[in-house]
Amino acid sequence: MADMHSETMLRMTDIHKSYGRIEVLKGINLEVRQGEVLAIIGPSGSGKSTLLRCINRLETIQSGEIEICGQKLVHMEDGHSVYAADDEARRILASTGMVFQQFNLFPHMTVLENLIEAPIHVKHESRAEILPYARELLERVGLADRADYYPAQLSGGQQQRVAIARALCMRPQIMLFDEPTSALDPELTGEVLKTMRELAESHMTMVVVTHEMGFAREAANQVIFMAEGGIIEQGEPHEFFSHPREERTKAFLQSRL
Amino acid sequence: MDNLMNTVIQMAEGSEITLEIFFVTLIVALPLGMLAAIGRLSPIAPLSRLLEFYVWLMRGTPLMLQLLFVYFALPMVGIMLPDIAAALLAFILNYAAYFCEIFRAGIQSVPRGQYEAAKTLGMSYPLTMRRIILPQVIRMVLPPISNETINLVKDTSLIYILAMNDLLRVARTIVQREFDMTPFVVAAVFYLAMTFVLTWMFKKLEAHYGRYAQ
Ligand SMILES: Nc1ncnc2c1ncn2[C@@H]1O[C@H](COP(=O)(O)OP(=O)(O)O)[C@@H](O)[C@H]1O
Ligand SMILES: [Mg+2]
Repeated sequence: MADMHSETMLRMTDIHKSYGRIEVLKGINLEVRQGEVLAIIGPSGSGKSTLLRCINRLETIQSGEIEICGQKLVHMEDGHSVYAADDEARRILASTGMVFQQFNLFPHMTVLENLIEAPIHVKHESRAEILPYARELLERVGLADRADYYPAQLSGGQQQRVAIARALCMRPQIMLFDEPTSALDPELTGEVLKTMRELAESHMTMVVVTHEMGFAREAANQVIFMAEGGIIEQGEPHEFFSHPREERTKAFLQSRL
Repeated sequence: MDNLMNTVIQMAEGSEITLEIFFVTLIVALPLGMLAAIGRLSPIAPLSRLLEFYVWLMRGTPLMLQLLFVYFALPMVGIMLPDIAAALLAFILNYAAYFCEIFRAGIQSVPRGQYEAAKTLGMSYPLTMRRIILPQVIRMVLPPISNETINLVKDTSLIYILAMNDLLRVARTIVQREFDMTPFVVAAVFYLAMTFVLTWMFKKLEAHYGRYAQ
């Protein structure tokens, strides 16, 4: 899949982020290439969500650089982070899509309306253009027969698959997932993970915060272990899971068995 | 029979002022309450505080007192308003305060995740408000607004004390003149009919905006 020659899709350089006086990201560096799946694991409160949310400007950083598909969302100037202007930032971030732990579907719209809302009102595509693609995506996530349902009429697993399809409908190049299965009953996580695996196989670039070690081991090309706002260990899944080097990683993986 | 017709015709004139108070108050106080709610939730602290005080004042004192104040006290300090304008001012200020609280609760009931999802889909703030947030707010606020609207129908009778020949005053005048209770019954039917129509309308609206919640 990903190799050294593929294009860098996401680069974060020396990211620092504080809430008030508490620093929650303490100098994060990472790089994700085209088609790569990066899994981020770590104990709760270690800054995984914050890191992910900094990528698409749901949170802002105080220092560091963020480059998405070769374009600078944030660059350093005189020791401070400077964000791209609002319009420019929105244009850069159009290549990212996000899936949340709580799905966050629009409850007043049907499944199909959820998918086509942003393509129509943000990208100004016509219904005729976007409808076939939306239906194709619903087919891909196995929900073609639920197009006219409202989110409240679906199970959690179905809602999360709709959320994935909704993000894909904007044709992103990088997909961000924040614990996409954590709000689901155990018997429903499988269907969402399957959808994510298929997405990975289609060479989508993905950054996935997850507690699903099986997914990280089998679907990721790169695993990062975070604790207390820093990256403790990073590696290929096979090496990472069978021979963790750091004590903290070992302890965390032990606790997850 | 003729008598009844006469009564109804006279009272229809009285109902004009009642209806005027009702509709003008509703049409002005709703958007005003919405704006006040947005201001109340804004990060501009002085504005938010001021509106909090306004809501507290309006909800903490009787509408009757507010009516008397605007009607009798303002002229003493040199502010002269036509009767109907004075009554409308009091009604609008009072109802905007109640609507403000309703809209505030409605806006706050929409989870953060809705704004975040819209943002990650590239939606601008105004677009998010119009397409995502407001439709959900409307659904949340319809039942309490329906309540307040029906209260307003009945509250319009308070202008009775201002001697403005509203429905109720016309009714009482006829009752006293002709020793006939019919006008009171006609008035009751009038209020009931208004309430009935409004209840039906809001039920339709609630069904429309609530169709997505199981
Ligand atoms: N909005 C916020 N305000 C203040 N502190 C926050 C906020 N969001 C997260 N934090 C803190 O930042 C740290 C990292 O949180 P988070 O990124 O959510 O961790 P994780 O996703 O790894 O569980 C935690 O200590 C958390 O309490
Ligand atoms: Mg988290």
